Amino acid sequence: MTPKMKTWIAGTTAMAGIALAGGALAQDDPVTIGITQNNVGVDSYQTTYEQAFVDAAAANPNVETVVLDAGGDVARQIAQIQDLIQQRVDAIIIWPTNGNAVVPAVRQAHQAGIPVVITNSNIAEEGMDFIAAFSGPDNITQGAYSAELMCEALAEEGQDPAEASGQIVQISGQPGYTTAIERQKGFEDRLAEACPGVEIMETQPGDWNREKSQRVMEAFLTKYDTIDGVYSGDDNMGVGALNAAKAAGRADEMAFIGATNFAVGYEAMERGEYYGSIYQSPVDDAEAALQTALDVLAGEDVPKLNYFETPKITQENMTEFSKPVF
Amino acid sequence: MVAETKPEAGRPARIRRRTGSNAMSVFAKQGILIAFALFIVGFAIFSDRFLSAENLMTVIRQSAIIGVMAIGVTVVVIGGNLDLSVGSMLSFSTVLVVDLHDQMGPGLAILVMLAATLCLGAVNGLLVGYARLNSLIVTLGMLSAIQGLVLIYSGGQNVDIVNQESTWFAIFGRGYVFGIATPIVIFLVFALLVHVLMSSTAFGRRVYAVGGNPTAAVFSGIRRSRVVFTTYLISAFATGCAAVILGSRVMGSQNNVGQGYELLVLAGVILGGTSLLGGSGNVLKTVVGVLILGFIQNGLLLMGFAYYVQWLVTWIVIILAVWLDVAAKRGRLFSPIA
Repeated sequence: MTPKMKTWIAGTTAMAGIALAGGALAQDDPVTIGITQNNVGVDSYQTTYEQAFVDAAAANPNVETVVLDAGGDVARQIAQIQDLIQQRVDAIIIWPTNGNAVVPAVRQAHQAGIPVVITNSNIAEEGMDFIAAFSGPDNITQGAYSAELMCEALAEEGQDPAEASGQIVQISGQPGYTTAIERQKGFEDRLAEACPGVEIMETQPGDWNREKSQRVMEAFLTKYDTIDGVYSGDDNMGVGALNAAKAAGRADEMAFIGATNFAVGYEAMERGEYYGSIYQSPVDDAEAALQTALDVLAGEDVPKLNYFETPKITQENMTEFSKPVF
Repeated sequence: MVAETKPEAGRPARIRRRTGSNAMSVFAKQGILIAFALFIVGFAIFSDRFLSAENLMTVIRQSAIIGVMAIGVTVVVIGGNLDLSVGSMLSFSTVLVVDLHDQMGPGLAILVMLAATLCLGAVNGLLVGYARLNSLIVTLGMLSAIQGLVLIYSGGQNVDIVNQESTWFAIFGRGYVFGIATPIVIFLVFALLVHVLMSSTAFGRRVYAVGGNPTAAVFSGIRRSRVVFTTYLISAFATGCAAVILGSRVMGSQNNVGQGYELLVLAGVILGGTSLLGGSGNVLKTVVGVLILGFIQNGLLLMGFAYYVQWLVTWIVIILAVWLDVAAKRGRLFSPIA
């Protein structure tokens, strides 16, 4: 190389997120619903949700949609909400990137007379006055269901689950996420009621990440000679914990309970290695959100909180459910 | 080293510096090892499980993924550049090898994945080595660009290996070679190979030369662009190897599985004493640096500390390491000049 090539070129990258919104031509009297999602593509649940939402809207000839995604960015989501207000859509559905930060934008929509439906995870308490309805899973109840599954799993043959006893560990989701906090709270509160003999020895976060959860479980296995059960904030982490226990040859001595049934969790249940989970379908989630928005627009008396059904799934009843697509 | 004799030459405080610098430099050079030893002793007192052979093996096995990547990044850093793209590159490679596994079998999947990963490394290498762009900007951009690529490839879906029990792919993350977990074997063998490459070959000497003083290296007839380009290929190859271990260990992959790994990898490299200015560093010390990180996280977990304590302590250790590194070069802890 010649010395004259010494020139340095400093480049900066500017990332611009451009949201293209398809304008809707009015035919007959269709309603236009705008949706701004949290972070499509980052996980299978959100990807499936978007597809299901688009499909459900397409199946209804009276619905036009403007589908946006905030890419996990609070500022972008607020801008998208303001864009939707400018476009005068009939209703806005928001999957909040952050339950607190979107409240002012939600209030703007409210003041502009556009009803807002929050989907999947709710916004902060102070924003509740400005929304028409919330539609999504009830994570507190999911945690409570998982606690009941844990009691059943640890009860001896013929024993009342309330009498069950044992020592368990908990692997929670990403610290600070509403879903993680609510599931943990629901689980801990219900476990203390449903079977007080079961003790949570330790809780550590697995960050919704299977490999991280596997690492945490490896430390638990080193630390505790007796582990009777493992509760994970979702099946993805649950399978990571199962991997670790299998590698240590100790999977048979403990029960694995998860939440948000994943395909890998479903398969582990088929193999008899995983006790149970909570069935939460992104398709139900998306369809419930759209339906809630349509009910609001139709002037129906919609309750503030609309939870769609997220039942327990175990090795016994799993044939009633189709295998999750994610 | 050039970098160590340069600062403060000819300053009046020379005598004081010399008397002070003996104890100072011993502490600075061995400071990380001393801190490491203190941590080990502390953990061993509070947790009787910590020093068990089983736990030690677990930690080394867990550290292997970050370790293999850190060895590759060490080569880049010695060459005077950074590679922050390895986090999403790990996501890319892991998703690719897991997804292809069920379509074309383990052997071919690994080969195709390695080829694709090397292409990404080549992009880094071309932009930094030949186009002479700032490596921080190039690889930070690649960090998000590759994450985008992963999402396009996978459509946001998780990928899993369906038949986990009967594939020989399992050996890389779950198997044993002569009674030692395979990830450990891969980690240590790779470290030794790259150490020999860096310490005993002409290529290794060129990397040190280019990182230490690029202008002098060019005048000595070293083809700087090609050397830098090759360091990025080595880093990408290392990340590909890490992806094989990760994919095999988990038997599936999320799109963002490598998120945040770039900083852990860099932390391991820095803890090992490799200077971010380039031109100095040692692959085997990176192994120590990575193990320090692994043992700290494991020890805090065994002692039952919450995750935020782990973040805090890890950060403190990294800052101490960088400080000692700089202090050793200055000859004192605090310096009036930067």
